[in-house]
This record gives sequence, structure tokens and C-alpha cells, in this order.
Amino acid sequence: MGLFLSKIVEALTAFSGSDPARILMLGLDAAGKTTVLYKLKLNETVCTIPTIGFNVETVSPVKGVTFTVWDVGGQEKIRTLWRHYYQNAQGLVYVVDSADVIRMAEAKEELHAICKDIQMEGVPVVIVANKQDLPGALKTSEIADQLDMLSFRDRKWYVQGACAKTGEGIYEAMTEMARLTKLFQSKR
Amino acid sequence: MKELIGGNTIIQYIREHFDIEYFVCYLTACLMCSFHIFYSKPDPKAKQISIGKKKFNMDPKKGIQYLIEHGLLQETPEDVAQFLFQGEGLNKTAIGDYLGERKDFNMDVLKAFVNLHEFRGMILVQALRQFLWSFRLPGEAQKIDRMMECFAQRYCDLNSDVFKNTDTCYVLSFAIIMLNTSLHNPSVKDKPTVERFISMNRGIHDGGDLPEELLINLYDSIKNEPFKIPEDDGNDLMHTFFNPVKEGWLWKQGGRYKNWKRRWFILNDNCLYYFQYTTDKEPKGIIPLENINVREVPTEKAHKPNCFELFTGGNDIIKACKVDSDGKVVEGRHNVYRMSAGNTPEKEEWIKCIKLSINDNPFYDMLAARRKNATGSSPAE
Repeated sequence: MGLFLSKIVEALTAFSGSDPARILMLGLDAAGKTTVLYKLKLNETVCTIPTIGFNVETVSPVKGVTFTVWDVGGQEKIRTLWRHYYQNAQGLVYVVDSADVIRMAEAKEELHAICKDIQMEGVPVVIVANKQDLPGALKTSEIADQLDMLSFRDRKWYVQGACAKTGEGIYEAMTEMARLTKLFQSKR
Repeated sequence: MKELIGGNTIIQYIREHFDIEYFVCYLTACLMCSFHIFYSKPDPKAKQISIGKKKFNMDPKKGIQYLIEHGLLQETPEDVAQFLFQGEGLNKTAIGDYLGERKDFNMDVLKAFVNLHEFRGMILVQALRQFLWSFRLPGEAQKIDRMMECFAQRYCDLNSDVFKNTDTCYVLSFAIIMLNTSLHNPSVKDKPTVERFISMNRGIHDGGDLPEELLINLYDSIKNEPFKIPEDDGNDLMHTFFNPVKEGWLWKQGGRYKNWKRRWFILNDNCLYYFQYTTDKEPKGIIPLENINVREVPTEKAHKPNCFELFTGGNDIIKACKVDSDGKVVEGRHNVYRMSAGNTPEKEEWIKCIKLSINDNPFYDMLAARRKNATGSSPAE
């Protein structure tokens, strides 16, 4: 009986004991970050004390996993500020507009610039290939190719097709993020 | 004409228009049209502006487009910026959404909008507080980035001696928004200390550091006083009800059935509002104090002590509106509004205040001024 109880306690602490993982969300303008963020939030108990500032949400996509997701980004000049938020980041959700072929190169540049940061070393990346419903949207394999994902050797990554408007693929992306985050934490 | 605003409740209507005075103006305009008083022709412009604003609050792009198409707004960044800056009856979240759009025209409007702000001689955080009160800052990082860049440019133009260069001001302003988010957004569990804020801002001053004292002051200011959520212009309605000229319980006699009902009356903005309960957010009725008179009523005549009444010169129905039993907004049916106060001094005080409200600012003058205001927006400097 004692053994049984301690196992329960162990299981519970494993879930709730640690602080929420810090997940960053990045992507170009209009890629759909806000939609992704609030789609995640939709099924949660809403406790909104509105605050002036960046979109930040605590979400729990998978039981026992809590993410604090920050909408970060902006021009090169302010990247020095975000660096402090990259610290202890356990995952990066990178949102791209799959149909915006013209800006794909720009999206790639930004992604690689962020990942080069020392604070982001080994941090897993989940690409949300958003707007899959639009005509001309690139497939996930094409996105992986265009973003040059294969050049990432020291980190886990995953590309998830999605349509944030309907919520398709968002849950899958977060489940994958949770899995990769756990792997990353255990390695650290 | 009985049902003025098809099926809507007063509060729905007011919410959509976000401005009680505007509502009354509109109402009076409608009534004036129907009574053919003062205006032989209704002024369609005021109504179109009101429609444009309503559209704007639901979809900023469509609202601006509507106003431009109807010739009420020029398609220049300066004119649109002026319109947003005045902000009368506009939802501040909608203003923020419009200013945050990543389109050339919107970005030009943003610049013109920032340039309407006066920050001369203000410390940075004070200027930022003023700026962030004029619209609701969107939460997207890129939008905040653009807005802070424009803000910093304006701030430095007006205060050339504060920062070595605009970039320092821009990065610092951005850092302040991050700080406000970290300290006050309940989703952020890991609250930064002042030391972390200082270290975060290392090297942003042209490669060097900003004075520590400045950063500590900024930190304390934001910690003690978060940026306020800007209130919509519509919340002036609450302002109306919270700072009345006079308020109190009165008995009011019905228009058709001459029974007496106890109502909470508020006098403000040359209008008399009455509520069923003091806690009600929506009035049961509104009586614009225009083209109207007030007089005492002898107890013998009213069969109730301390009475007074509102009446018109002729035997016309008094222009007013109320919510009927079905919740619809309808025209009032009173030839006189008869009220009874608790005691004689109260009665005299009400009569005095109402008289002042009538004489003080004749309603049609206000309406005319409003129209002039709404249509004659001057371009930016």
C-alpha cells in the first residue's frame, strides 16, 4: 500500500513539479502566430486579465506539459533583447505561411539567424506549416526543403502541416513539441 | 417612427455608437426630421459619419473605406491619422489594429498619427504612457516593433538631448513593453528582477550602457504602475453617469397610465436619464433638455407633494426615448414629464439644476457644434 501511494505521488510530482517550459513562437508577419496561439488557448479555462504588451499564453496542450508561449520577434536591432528570453528556452515553434512562396527565403533567413544564437543551441524546432488550405500552399516536405531544415544537425525538428483558422494540425504540432521538449530536457 | 431603432435595446445601441451624446444627437436628429423643426432637410453627413465609425469599430479597414467613399475623409495618411487621433466614438482596439497593419498606407498613417502626439519635455515613460493611451497596443511582436520605432523617432525629434541616437530610444521602448508584459501578464511566471532588466539592456546605448539610475527608475515606474488599458471613448458613457450634475431618486408619473414609479435620475450633458435601479448600466429613458421648460406643480394639481414638470411651449410631445416593456427603444409619449421629489429643498434643487442645464447650453447649438466638429476635421500640421 505504501509503495502504491508513493508511486502516485511520484507520478503527480513528475507532472506538476517543474516550472512550465519556455516555448518561443516566431515567424514572419502574418504567418498566423496569433491565430495559432489563441487556437491553443481556446480549450483552456480563460482567465484573462488583459495586459498591455506581447501576446503570451500559458497553454497545456498535453496532460502534464505546460508551455509558456511568447510571441517574440521584430527587427535585428531588438534581437539583443530577446536573447534574454531565449535563455532556458526549451522549444521553438516557428510559424510559416505555406502559401507565401515569395517570403519563404526571408523566413528561412530569420529561422537560421535565431537558431545560430548560442542560447538556442540544441533547442528543438517545430515548424508549423500554416495555411495549408490556401491554393498554392507548399507541402510539408517542400517547406522543410525551402527552410533548409536538413542543415540542422544538432537539434531535433519536425514540420507539421496546419490550418490555424480551423485548428487543424495545431494539436499535433504541440504534441510533437511536448515530446521533443521532454527529450531535450532529459538530455540537458 | 414609433420604434426608433428597430428592435435594439438602448444599451446595444449606445454600445454600438460608443458615445451617449452622439446617440442623443442622432436621436434628436431623427426626431427633428420627423417633426420638421429647425431643419427642413436632415443632414445626411452626421449620420454617415456615425455609420462609418460603427463600421470602423467592427472592421477598421471597411470603416475607413466607407468614410473615404462618402467624401467624409480624404485618402491621405494625415487626414486618416487625424481622424484616429481625435478618436471620438472609436474603439481603441480597432485603432490599434488599423495602425498595426503591415501595408504602406497604414504605416504612413501610423507615422502621421505618432506625429500628432506632443512629447516635448516629457520623460520617456511618461511619453510612452500617453502614446499607449491613444490606442490599444496589439500583441504581435512585429507590430509593437514598428510602433515603437515610430514612437522613438517622434520622441527623439522633440527631445534631441535625451538619447544619443534614435535606435537607443527604440530598443529601450521595446524593452519597456517587454518588461510590462513580464511583470504584469499573469501567464509569465518568471518575473524579472531589476538586475535582469539592467543586464538585458546592456550595450543598447550605441554599444555602451545607459545610466543604471535611468533603468532602475524605469523598472520601478512600470512595476508600480502598469500601462493602463486604454478605455474606449464609449466609456465616456460611464463618465457621464459617474460624474453627474445631479442625481437622486424621484417619483415619475407615467405618460399614458398616470401611475407613479420610483426612478433613479441622473442629470448630465444637458440630458436627464432615468434608471430603474441605481446599479443599472442602461437607462430606462433619456430626455434631452432642449426646447423644454421646467416648472413647479402645486400639490393639489398633482395629488402628490413636491412636484415639478418638464413641458414644451406648445402642447407637443416632449422629444425623448425610453425602453418599452418588450425591451425596444421607443419614442416617449409624454406631453409633460411630471416628477415628485422627496422634500421641498430637493425639488427646488432639481428645478434649479435642470433650469441651468437648459439655459447653459441649448441642445441644438451643441448638435450644430458636433456636426461642425465631425465634418470639419482639419488636416495634420
